[in-house]
Amino acid sequence: MSIQAYSMGKKEIREAQAKKLKEVVTRVYENSPFYRRRLKEAGIDIANFRPEDIRKVPFTTKTDLRDNYPLGLISVDKSKIVRMHASSGTTGNPTVVAYTKRDIDAWAELNKRCLEVCGVTSDDVVQVAYGYGLFTGGLGLHYGAERLGAKVIPASTGNTKRQLKLMKDLGTTVLACTPSYALFLSESAKEEGIDPKKDLRLRVGVLGAEPWSESTRKVLEEEFMQSAHDIYGMSELNGPGVAIECRKKDGLHVWEDHYFVEIIDPNTGEVLEPGEKGEMAVTTLEKEGMPLLRYRTRDITILDDEVCECGMAHARIKKILGRTDDMLKIRGICVFPSQIEEVISGFEGLTPFYQLVVDRDGPLDRLLVKVEVSEDFKSDRLTEIVDLQKRLEEELRDVLSISAAVELTEPRTLPRSEGKAQRIIDLRRI
Amino acid sequence: MAKQFSIFLENKPGRLSSVIDLFERNQIRVLAMGIAEAGNYGIVRCILDAPEKAAEALRNANTAVNLVEVLIIGMGDLHSAVKVLGERGINIDYAYTMDMGRIVIKVDDEPKAKKALSEAGIKTY
Repeated sequence: MSIQAYSMGKKEIREAQAKKLKEVVTRVYENSPFYRRRLKEAGIDIANFRPEDIRKVPFTTKTDLRDNYPLGLISVDKSKIVRMHASSGTTGNPTVVAYTKRDIDAWAELNKRCLEVCGVTSDDVVQVAYGYGLFTGGLGLHYGAERLGAKVIPASTGNTKRQLKLMKDLGTTVLACTPSYALFLSESAKEEGIDPKKDLRLRVGVLGAEPWSESTRKVLEEEFMQSAHDIYGMSELNGPGVAIECRKKDGLHVWEDHYFVEIIDPNTGEVLEPGEKGEMAVTTLEKEGMPLLRYRTRDITILDDEVCECGMAHARIKKILGRTDDMLKIRGICVFPSQIEEVISGFEGLTPFYQLVVDRDGPLDRLLVKVEVSEDFKSDRLTEIVDLQKRLEEELRDVLSISAAVELTEPRTLPRSEGKAQRIIDLRRI
Repeated sequence: MAKQFSIFLENKPGRLSSVIDLFERNQIRVLAMGIAEAGNYGIVRCILDAPEKAAEALRNANTAVNLVEVLIIGMGDLHSAVKVLGERGINIDYAYTMDMGRIVIKVDDEPKAKKALSEAGIKTY
């Protein structure tokens, strides 16, 4: 099964998706009162459903899951459900997701594929330091590694000293955890007097559940592991295993035989072309217990449908650029604080603190990025500072696709709070 | 060899005052000062009479400050000094005047400049 998945061509993938789209729409129409009502209201002709009709199907949102708490969106008889996971509900009800036996099996298979794409084999020792429990990260990677026949250490999160000891004593070669925990483990190793290059045998990191940057990859690959890979998923879509970075690390391959991906304008819902930045909406093609149609992930990315240099035809999404919740629209272009952070982190002598000021000059929006210098900022040569400011502006323009003016501020002058309100000042009155 | 303080400051009213206030409070005297500006920020370069105390005070105030080696010569030696530096291929990055008829010069090769001036019999402070 998995060899087939890797070698599928574009045409084969599109044909399979066309067939499965009709199947899943039919399945939810027949089995889920929620979707039957939705599809009827939208006037979808199920009997003559064509793949392009998916664009007429209303989006499913996290609010729909909450409103139908706990299991209003399942499309099978409750007796077929074998597992329920729940996400933390900081506002109102948590979101509950439900799996059949077949779903768990497919989920294991997808995670096995992800590990294989990262170069993991049955000879590897895989330490799973994602949380086990209601969070899907731990169990998802666990199933994948076990299915691959690797040796699994179900370390779960926390107890950093013990994690490091297990890594050292059991010869861990693959670490699956969040990128921030990987960084923390790397720093803690140093404090414990462990030299990762001599004392550990870490080859591969399978890092996900939060957005991370190329600068984090650089640090991890220089200091802790040979190859750090980004893995994407969310509990609504099984959990981890939706998309994975191959050895080329130029985007994450989405397993398109299981997931149909669209990138949409988060404001209008209009479907965007590959290469355009927008919110990812996903239709699950194989899920049985709780299939979702055009589920709005609130994650912002760009779709790349070219065949990858690694040979796989499964389309790629760029590393997640941000969440729709943090998005700013300037001159019609979506801008994310995370993109600005990434640019700033590439320069020496600057702190990670910044402030975005957006205002309007006549009909045009203007973006000002205030960047704070650190105390070890090179402060003698004006030409060097002017040059740094110019390079910052150029790089911001490349990354954001709009021009931004940079203003350098003295150390400790920008607000420290993580709050969005203080980082972004929108003076536009629309 | 003299130490110059190069301080990064935002170019707005009150910023220079806050630095000079800091020197006053710590009884540090300013012997020479030059300001270079570009847009919303600038660099204040100064020679101070108590470098160690000043470095500590500036650090405690979380200032972006660099210490830079500079040459101080008498104004009367200016002509011969720039001639010698020019002949030896040493570039002057910037210069500004100082109290007591002296001038502060920042060059691109400090040790070479120091040697050249001493060989030419020009006194540095």
